[in-house]
Amino acid sequence: MSKNILILFSIVFPIISGFVLLCYPKVKDRKKIQIYMLGVFGITGGFVSNIITGRAMTYTLYEFMESIPIYFKIDNMGRLFASLVTIAFILSGLYSFGYMEHERNEKRYFGFYLIVYGVFLGLIFSGNIVTLYIFYELLTLTSFFLVIYAQTREAVMAAMKYMFYSLCGAYMALFGIYFLYQYGTTLEFTPGGVLDPSLLQGKEEFFLFIAFFMLIGFSVKAGMFPMHGWLSSAHPVAPAPASGILSGIIVKAGVFAIIRIVFEIFGADFLKGSWVQQVWMTLSLITIFMGSMLAYKESIVKKRFAYSTVSQISYILFGLSLLEPKGFVGALFHTCVHIFVKTGLFLAIGGMIFKTGNIKVEHLDGIGKKMPFTLWCYTLLSLSLIGIPPAGGFLSKWFLAIGSLESGISVFSWIGPIILVVSALLTAGYVLPITMNGFFPKADWTYKRDELRKVMVIPILILTVLAIGIGMFPNRLVTYIGNIAEQLL
Amino acid sequence: MAVKMKEIFLLIIILLPFFGGACICVIKPKRQAYLEIFVETIVLLTSFLVFYSITHRPESSLVVFEFAANLTIAFHMDGLSATFAGLIAVLWPLATLYAFEYMRNAERKRSFFLFYTVTYAVTLGIAFAANLVTLYFFYEMLTLVTLPLVFYTMTREAVLASRKYLYYSLGGAAFAFIGLIFILSYGHGTTEFVLGGVLQPENLGGVRNTLLFVYVLSFFGFGVKAALFPFSSWLPRAGVAPTPVTALLHAVAVVKSGAFAILRITYYNFGADFLRGTWAQDIVMTAVIITILYGCSMALKERHLKRRLAYSTISNLSYLLFGAALMTPLGLAGALSHMVFHGIMKICAFFCAGAVIKQTEKEFIYELDGLGRKMPKVFGILGIASFSLMGVPGLCGFISKWNLAKAAVLSDNPIAYIGIGALLLSGLLTGIYMMAIVIRGLFPLAEVNYGKQQVQDPNWYMILPLIVLTVFIVYFGLFSKPIVLLFENIAKGRW
Repeated sequence: MSKNILILFSIVFPIISGFVLLCYPKVKDRKKIQIYMLGVFGITGGFVSNIITGRAMTYTLYEFMESIPIYFKIDNMGRLFASLVTIAFILSGLYSFGYMEHERNEKRYFGFYLIVYGVFLGLIFSGNIVTLYIFYELLTLTSFFLVIYAQTREAVMAAMKYMFYSLCGAYMALFGIYFLYQYGTTLEFTPGGVLDPSLLQGKEEFFLFIAFFMLIGFSVKAGMFPMHGWLSSAHPVAPAPASGILSGIIVKAGVFAIIRIVFEIFGADFLKGSWVQQVWMTLSLITIFMGSMLAYKESIVKKRFAYSTVSQISYILFGLSLLEPKGFVGALFHTCVHIFVKTGLFLAIGGMIFKTGNIKVEHLDGIGKKMPFTLWCYTLLSLSLIGIPPAGGFLSKWFLAIGSLESGISVFSWIGPIILVVSALLTAGYVLPITMNGFFPKADWTYKRDELRKVMVIPILILTVLAIGIGMFPNRLVTYIGNIAEQLL
Repeated sequence: MAVKMKEIFLLIIILLPFFGGACICVIKPKRQAYLEIFVETIVLLTSFLVFYSITHRPESSLVVFEFAANLTIAFHMDGLSATFAGLIAVLWPLATLYAFEYMRNAERKRSFFLFYTVTYAVTLGIAFAANLVTLYFFYEMLTLVTLPLVFYTMTREAVLASRKYLYYSLGGAAFAFIGLIFILSYGHGTTEFVLGGVLQPENLGGVRNTLLFVYVLSFFGFGVKAALFPFSSWLPRAGVAPTPVTALLHAVAVVKSGAFAILRITYYNFGADFLRGTWAQDIVMTAVIITILYGCSMALKERHLKRRLAYSTISNLSYLLFGAALMTPLGLAGALSHMVFHGIMKICAFFCAGAVIKQTEKEFIYELDGLGRKMPKVFGILGIASFSLMGVPGLCGFISKWNLAKAAVLSDNPIAYIGIGALLLSGLLTGIYMMAIVIRGLFPLAEVNYGKQQVQDPNWYMILPLIVLTVFIVYFGLFSKPIVLLFENIAKGRW
């Protein structure tokens, strides 16, 4: 038995552990659950680190349908995403130990948390589009339980909204997959695309339409306009660490799938210069601006950051839509930054809400006197989100802007950077007031110093360090992403 | 003669449940248990024989009776027969077991099981029919023997529903009869089911368009039983029948007989090659697509649990007819796979609904708040069936949709492309109307006062069929390759 089966282990192990936790009756002892979770995180983390440091490998589980196997493959993109996801899941998980103590039914939360983690790894390691689709659907159906966790009317409605939007997207994607099965040489992800030119003869227009359909479909998870409506309802109702995961990680499933289909199924050359590319760019630019604007106007903290996610993910999509190396580097770099920043921000915000019970921005005045450490982390993360050097966000925007200018696509090449700058201003407008009013409240404040527990603070701190550090020492990462870009473009 | 024996077997299989069922009115079992054992034995024995006959397949057809030179009652076993017979042979014993518990305290139980068992015989007759005459004969009989099951409760509503069912079915059969006549006249005096059809297109000349028109007529005629829009309204109404009837007959046996008949006339009488690319194909395919969307839109707004499932059946049956309307071998394979898989998942969903009705006497969806906590097994299984109906990969609904879509893509027909869109849109709507039920059950929107009411999962009579069906759903979803290959071989005439 070769080492390849490790891929399967890394996916199945957390899923099974999650089920065990869900089904195992009556563990009331919080400590035991936490130790169990640590164990699962440790073992899965071990698997994942073993896989991503090893050589490229593939694993075929079995033939699911005729000539369509369940097939996993490790490539550079997979390595990058797997490590990011693992970091975020483990840190958020640690934070949950502290956060979930005031919630009932922790076991269900942690069970689904592990399942979602496993399913996400499956999505990342998928080697063909059908396997990816399977895990994409499973991701919707399992993360559904994280959204519905609170079981309030609001949560149930939000979860249903989330599910129906996601299903809608998934079916749009499936529509394309049906056609790809007949008109592609293979369904395996291959840099440069798999479309069969001889079969495609005379149907290019139709396939552009299909590509567009799939793009919109997968962009539902990434919250791109016009399919962003679910995001601001679903993310805020989950418990804070789950919001962090949803906003930081789950939305990246859409990004990941889009990278796969655009660069490894259709091929960048197929889309370059077509109307699909232009519409895609327009939509992502609209989303960037609209998301920032909505966030700026929103006063419920978690909702504000959900809108911020809408906007930030479209930075990534914009970078991808350039179909050009610099833009691609910017997009993937921003993916890394955003995972750290947004997860960290949600954890920090969640901590503030956890301690004060206030969910509105204006009620967080003076929070800096109560929890200075958390607010400092929040501030640093915000700087990265806005894109102030040397934090990570600066560099990604730099690449995005350069990519946009170099792409030479008529109007877009200069409209892009302008919108990026405007959005950065808006971002500053919606994140910094919390810092300012937190440290310098206008009215009298009555807070006593009451910092979060260590198990909650440390993950936030680590994420902050990563979010800043990635901008200060970016070289290796940029080279790594550059290599991926070279392969794919 | 050993060879002939296998053919005679087909007749025995049909007669066994027929007379076995009829015996119920003669014998008067002292205890409920004896009746149960008797009925279940007959049904199980029949199913066993069906599978025996599928594995030891008779080569030729058995002519039982000749009305006139061309009008014969004959049985055979080809791939299509085997698929349909195999499906109902699996489902009937399970449904009977379920019916025992569901009808536990009902009146007129004997007559119920009489007709229930006789229907099995008639449905098998449809499956084994070797020509259109036989099929038509059993098709009419099916209407008549299932009628008492529809008005079983004897309420005014039930009587009205059964009257509607009767008129619709007989009316539809009349249109189908026209098809029968034309096939007899132009099919060289035979209505035998031959893959590829019995017409010889090159000799038809001027009657070509007439025949196409007749095809459309008989498609809609048989389509009445398959709940083709606009002839579908009898199906939700017939939901007043007891759940075992709705589940087995109105989700599988009766409605699939209609679809089965359509597959027969399309692929085995008129012939797919004759029909493909004609205006007749455009008409039926459009009708099918409209039905797909009509069914699931109506399901979305329906608030009665069983009627919602009935509308869902309307939509799903038209998936099957979509496969028929594609008129390619792959389309037939897709139709067959959806026939089997939809049968399994829809009966499973109906059984869950029936379990809820039996345990709580609640029939409307808005009354289900929080019941999932009380009946976790039933709602869990309903959840799996719903996932399967909406086409989540890993469950069997995904596979049949995949096969249908594959066939549609290859058919290179623009209307078929729209059909794929309709399939997926319907999948989304299915997700909405099915998950709305499950989510309501598991996650009540408001605080529910459960009260002192002792609601719990039903006993093993009901749970066992549910578990078996769930295993099928998951198994065929994960390991579909052999069975799909089998369907494709059947469709190419290689079985």
